[in-house]
Amino acid sequence: MSTEEQGVQNAQNAQKVHVDGLGKRYESDRQTVQALQDVNFGVDDGEFVCIVGPSGCGKTTLFRLIAGLEDPTTGAVRLDGTPVEGPGTDRGMVFQEYGLFPWRTVRENVSFGLEEQGVEKAERGRRTSEMLELVGLDEFADAYPRELSGGMKQRVGIARALAVDPELLLMDEPFGAVDAQTRDMLHEELLSIWSETEKTVLFVTHDVEEAVTLSDRVVVMAADPGRVREVVDVDLARPRERTDAEFAEYVEHIRGLIGE
Amino acid sequence: MSKESGTVGVAGVSVGAGDEESLRSRLFGDESGLRNVGLGLLGTVAFLLVWHLGALAVGGILLPTPLAVAQAFLTELTAPVTFVLPVLGTEIPATRLPVKLVESLYHYIPGLLIGSVLGIASGVAMGWSGSLDAALTPVTRVLRPIPPLAWIAFAIIWLGVNHNGAAFIVGIGAFWINFYNAYSGVEGVPTDLKEVAASLGVDDDLTMIRKVVLPAASPSIMTGIRTSIGQCWMIVVAAELFGAPGVGFQIINAAQNLSMDVSVAYMLVISAVFLVSDGVFRRVEQNVLEWRA
Repeated sequence: MSTEEQGVQNAQNAQKVHVDGLGKRYESDRQTVQALQDVNFGVDDGEFVCIVGPSGCGKTTLFRLIAGLEDPTTGAVRLDGTPVEGPGTDRGMVFQEYGLFPWRTVRENVSFGLEEQGVEKAERGRRTSEMLELVGLDEFADAYPRELSGGMKQRVGIARALAVDPELLLMDEPFGAVDAQTRDMLHEELLSIWSETEKTVLFVTHDVEEAVTLSDRVVVMAADPGRVREVVDVDLARPRERTDAEFAEYVEHIRGLIGE
Repeated sequence: MSKESGTVGVAGVSVGAGDEESLRSRLFGDESGLRNVGLGLLGTVAFLLVWHLGALAVGGILLPTPLAVAQAFLTELTAPVTFVLPVLGTEIPATRLPVKLVESLYHYIPGLLIGSVLGIASGVAMGWSGSLDAALTPVTRVLRPIPPLAWIAFAIIWLGVNHNGAAFIVGIGAFWINFYNAYSGVEGVPTDLKEVAASLGVDDDLTMIRKVVLPAASPSIMTGIRTSIGQCWMIVVAAELFGAPGVGFQIINAAQNLSMDVSVAYMLVISAVFLVSDGVFRRVEQNVLEWRA
């Protein structure tokens, strides 16, 4: 390997996530749908990246491919240089509908992944309590999911995903099912969790303001076929104010790209 | 599922309320206050009165009075018989009614247990495995509509007119009820939950079934067990009409001797046993499924 190639390799390795020529085609008897075509982008270690786009742009498909829940037709997703094959504990998932285990208490939900990893009981308890404290739910440790509000459920979802210490936090419209006020609060909390844990976050949303509020960079997608329109660097200091002129410019620019 | 003493207390309260609710609602169909209990008592008394008057009008053997039934019940409850322990052959002095009930339980319990376990296991396996489902769906479609009693001829030639034969019939009934509840429960497990579990490190089928699929399907499985607990009493009676000893046999045997009061007394035994077993299982269900609202 030449020094130059080595350099390229290192640059790629420095990136946490590398999406490389990713394509996904769904074929049925009646029709073929090109959900994604030649999607390329990278996410740096510790970066917060949002994926936005109109419905049908394949952002959920992209999420599922990165999560390993589906296999790509072409290309690959690499995490720390290793191609993704199937779901794994290196990628923590957070869903819009929470996906909490209703038969487990908050504490038992959060410790699920640790149990699977064979972490010892004492260490599991310690780690679970730490996560619950991080999302501010220590007082609800013994409650069942049905007893929680939507915002609280999603905090459990985040704590559960983070408990196994994943390399990447993957979130698919996680705040789509909560009211606007709760969402603002959850944004602040997520950002503070992010800066505290220094995790890399990949966040799928259809809400442009949400994307600009949260991310370092926004991957803007277009539909038919699903592809990357542009990757926008959001160069704004945090905390960000929606009333800011610059904030509004970013939002307008991205909306223009989407065609809203 | 933890039921540590430190939990929110919702569990304790709901179980406490559940006891009262189940007992009262079993008897009166509602639990919304004293008024309904009063109405329930009134209705019961009115029913007994109409029954009594009707029995007096019809007279004699055709319809026994409630009092005659109560008397027959007491007689059956106290009539001394010797009970021969199966297998051991030891003779124990006992009374008739409990002995008949125990005889029914000898085929009810094994039939219910074996049928339920096999039904749940097959239902979970077919609900989980798409290829097993595809392979066996035609067979299950054809076999399921056959009423358990239609198997009586096989039960008799294979096993005889005895506990085994009756248990077989009960088992078939329990099997299908539990099979379909387990099957639909497993099929209905949200994909989200399985995907989350996979992302948290569950990477083999057995772990997925044990830690995600079974708990998620447990409400449906529990419904199946409870339904079969009730249905199997109906099947027990029917199976005993063919000669296996027990409460059901007493019902038909007494009627053939024109002792309608005794017959009705045993009919009420079935009802009582059903109410008790259903009530007990409801409590079990509430405890197992305490995580549900």
